[in-house]
Amino acid sequence: MTAWHSIRLVAAREIKERGRSKPFLITSVITALLVIGIIVLPGFFSDDTETYQIGSVGSGNRQIIQTAVALGNANDEEDAPPSIEIEEVEFSTREQAEEALADGDVDVVLVDGTELIVEREGGVFADTGPVGLLQQGAGAITLESIIAESGEPAEAVIEAMTSESLETTFLVESDDDTDVASVVAYFGLLLLYMAIILYGTWILTGVTEEKSNRVVEVIISTIRPWQLLAGKIIGIGTLALIQFGGTILIAFVGIQVFGEFDIPSIPPESLINLIIWFILGFLLYSVLFGAAGSLVGRVEDAQSAAMPMTIFSVIGFFAGFAVLNDADGFVALLTTFVPFTAPFTVPIRVSLNAIPFWQYLLSVGITLAAIYLAIRVAGRIYAGGILRTGKRTKLREAWRSG
Amino acid sequence: MLRIDSLAKRFGDVVALDDCSFEVSRGRMLGFLGPNGAGKTTTMRTIFGLVEPDAGSVTWDGEPIDAGSRRRFGYMPEERGLYPRMKILEQVAYMGRLHGMGAGEARESAATWIERFGLADRAEDQLETLSHGNQQRVQLAAALVHDPELLVLDEPFSGLDPIAADTMSEILINEAREGKAVVFSSHQLDVVEDLCEDVAIINNGSIVVRGVVQDLKDAAPIRHLEIELDGNVDEVLDGTDGIRHTSRQGDIHTAVIDAGTDVRTLFAKAQRTGQVRHFTYTTPSLTDLFREAVK
Repeated sequence: MTAWHSIRLVAAREIKERGRSKPFLITSVITALLVIGIIVLPGFFSDDTETYQIGSVGSGNRQIIQTAVALGNANDEEDAPPSIEIEEVEFSTREQAEEALADGDVDVVLVDGTELIVEREGGVFADTGPVGLLQQGAGAITLESIIAESGEPAEAVIEAMTSESLETTFLVESDDDTDVASVVAYFGLLLLYMAIILYGTWILTGVTEEKSNRVVEVIISTIRPWQLLAGKIIGIGTLALIQFGGTILIAFVGIQVFGEFDIPSIPPESLINLIIWFILGFLLYSVLFGAAGSLVGRVEDAQSAAMPMTIFSVIGFFAGFAVLNDADGFVALLTTFVPFTAPFTVPIRVSLNAIPFWQYLLSVGITLAAIYLAIRVAGRIYAGGILRTGKRTKLREAWRSG
Repeated sequence: MLRIDSLAKRFGDVVALDDCSFEVSRGRMLGFLGPNGAGKTTTMRTIFGLVEPDAGSVTWDGEPIDAGSRRRFGYMPEERGLYPRMKILEQVAYMGRLHGMGAGEARESAATWIERFGLADRAEDQLETLSHGNQQRVQLAAALVHDPELLVLDEPFSGLDPIAADTMSEILINEAREGKAVVFSSHQLDVVEDLCEDVAIINNGSIVVRGVVQDLKDAAPIRHLEIELDGNVDEVLDGTDGIRHTSRQGDIHTAVIDAGTDVRTLFAKAQRTGQVRHFTYTTPSLTDLFREAVK
């Protein structure tokens, strides 16, 4: 029986047992529903027309309201329903209108075409919504009367106010390929970060399983500790990728069917590059989470043991943003040669065509070496701490007795 | 044959093993005795490479033990443990596969053992739904599924009710009869006395007594004496040389005495003291040997 055979047995058990466990099935269904919800639900709301209730006292309000509606819908597409509608609610006295405003029956009150009554002063959105629109409408009417003498129609005024009047010149013109590449790189970054954060703790707590149910002594009387560890990491990692990949597939199909936008076609070499680095990154972090799990005897201690990996991945994630903005800078160069950050930043530099080939090769080499080293270290820690159940094993003790 | 030769192991300042040696032959059953913390579990773990000894060796049929030979051993550790949510049949079969069996072969053997333990109708149940006693049986099945040549059991009788203990005894006797080498540790000396031909007693990391139980009893420098009479037994024993240890259970007084003590004189003295109801003079029990060895 070879080492690989033992590892495969452990991994197969892990996939089978975990794959049909309630927690796995439940989280799979929930994430799938969540993704479908995020894609489908906005479709129900986006076509809706926003309706404002405007209280009206006295005369001279209608023209302002009509102008406000015209301004609010100026940028609508031709077939789409209007963005806003305004219902005018007439009141005979100012007091009645104020009462209705206080009760929330109307959003704002317009008096004699000259005065606005707003419920409360201040607030972040004070100048948006109906108040802003009515102000713009009234302004437009004033402007119209000023310009009226020149003989221009009102539509021309509205057109002038809502269009881009200045001609714009771009120093760097839009290049579709680079745009797509950075969007793809951005999603690659996000997906790797999500996979590490979501599934790292699976591996960490999974590795403590044999210790907490004490089956470990029977198992390592037949196979080596590192084989058990490797099998667990491969098994749980595979299951995590199945769930993650399934979720992405559902999202992909969902966007094609229900989505508001099209998925850009991804250049194959860019996709392959993303997949390679996703696997390298996920593998490295999985082994590190596994090593952390080797140190804890109980699931309760898992969170604190996961801390270093969480910090590394957050650093990698933000470094990725920095590199998206500056793909040849110092941060880009530094993070390329640090194994914890390379999986986040290198695929971005590749997508943006901003990495020399030698740097790419060196980075892959360093990351692979780090994975190998992490496996060896994790295996030794695991072997050293394996018969110490209960309290958390100190790293040094585990290393010595490993 | 399993040969454990001059094992030594320290954990920091604590000496766990110091010159620990014994042998277990095929077809024989050895009871491995010792007080708590004497080194029984450490010795057993050494056999499975779970503890690396500082000195000494463990061999099977004269060869150093490696991963290959370990797969032909069965082990029931002191810390019982299996996967609580895994189905019984799959669990036992999985253990068989870890020991190198093929998938079909492992499943077949697992089913046989589960049926033998009367758990056939629970084969598809999760382990955690079973009673404590039944979980112990599954644990034993996991140690036996691959038909091992050597069976090492750490405290197999602890926590068993008398019926379950009888089942365990039958299985062990059967396994030894089929030619396996069986070694188990226990605190229940009466069980060991009933089951084992061979015994090894460890104290403070060293083997203090080892050999065939009957030979050890015969050769022991002590004898076991039980007296019950109408009168004061203390009067009989007081002033007699070679009394090592006395105790009393109900009306029966028990004494461990030197083998050279003159029993006839003692019996005459008892008769003078009162009506003798019970007087036995035998080779020492295993408990007597154990007490003498570890005191």
